[in-house]
Amino acid sequence: MQKVSLVNIFKVFFKIGVILLGGGYVIIPIMKNELTEKRNWLSDDEICDYYCIAQCLPGIIAINMAILVGYKLMKLKGALMSVFAMSLSPFVSIVVVAKLLSAIVRIPFIEGLFWGVNLSVIVLIYLTLREMWKKSIVDIFSFVWFFIILFLSLIKVSPVLLIISSIFLGVIIRIIKDKKNA
Amino acid sequence: MHNTYFLLFYEFVKIGLFTYGGGYASLPFLYQLIDKYSWFSHSELLQLIAISGITPGPIGLNMATFSGFETLGLKGAFLSSFALILPMILITTQIFRLYKKFIENRFVESILYVLRPTSCALIAGVGIKLFYNLVLNNFSSINYKALFVVGFLFILTFKLKRDPIIYMAIAGVFGVLFYLFK
Repeated sequence: MQKVSLVNIFKVFFKIGVILLGGGYVIIPIMKNELTEKRNWLSDDEICDYYCIAQCLPGIIAINMAILVGYKLMKLKGALMSVFAMSLSPFVSIVVVAKLLSAIVRIPFIEGLFWGVNLSVIVLIYLTLREMWKKSIVDIFSFVWFFIILFLSLIKVSPVLLIISSIFLGVIIRIIKDKKNA
Repeated sequence: MHNTYFLLFYEFVKIGLFTYGGGYASLPFLYQLIDKYSWFSHSELLQLIAISGITPGPIGLNMATFSGFETLGLKGAFLSSFALILPMILITTQIFRLYKKFIENRFVESILYVLRPTSCALIAGVGIKLFYNLVLNNFSSINYKALFVVGFLFILTFKLKRDPIIYMAIAGVFGVLFYLFK
């Protein structure tokens, strides 16, 4: 077992930031491999718990996972270090690509590449939805609510407003249910 | 110009605070930024989506870094990434200490019950917008090449795992081929 220290947290999360490619779903197998199997810093159950919490919290799942693990290992210092380390290589690679963007865009076939990748995003969004659908659309209310929000977002109602209204509605539903049961 | 720094910070704190769900969940917010400010254009957003998908790191963070860079260069990239992560650090470290209670809380459960379909709908909205832009050419005509690629990937979803890189790679190859042989 490797010692838990800021330097080691940096090393692990820097590596995770480099190999994390194409979205957050791969974070669980990567973290299990790096944190449980190789270093024994956490148990499998803890990683699953953290994933569950990270999904319920605002923000990016992979970053919330890093914060939870870092906090568990070395409190606030650990959380700050893990986020910093994980964000470092994505930050540098994006800045480098963005700086070279005008040159990159001039590569003859790059336009075709971007066009293709963006088409794949349509299918990736479909896949994300297929996965989320089972957990999210559980009854008639959630089904109808989905289409209401879809309609409102297509007519450009602010997503912030839609999220805040959803939180309010969730609270109201809880209060009504509690009153019924009382 | 100081005003732009402040607005960039403000918009990305908002995204960090109100993004809920997987990799592309912050896209509805970025679409909204096009309408609100002239930081980047619609075609630049499409470049940004493609590049954020194929560079290492969480897509949401990459998109934030990139948007910041497009808006205000290196300082902007730093500011937008920092702003995105800040609410996560504040909220997630606090939640960590009461996470067992948090997961079992009746209000949290009820809020998530409403928030999950909302989040699905917001992501679905982006999928529809991308389809409308790339396949239907904003309702002016149908792009049959694009329709073919999306259809092909869609059929693959029945065969392949959901590793996003494979879909991006296949679609990217199609994009390059179509470009070279057009």
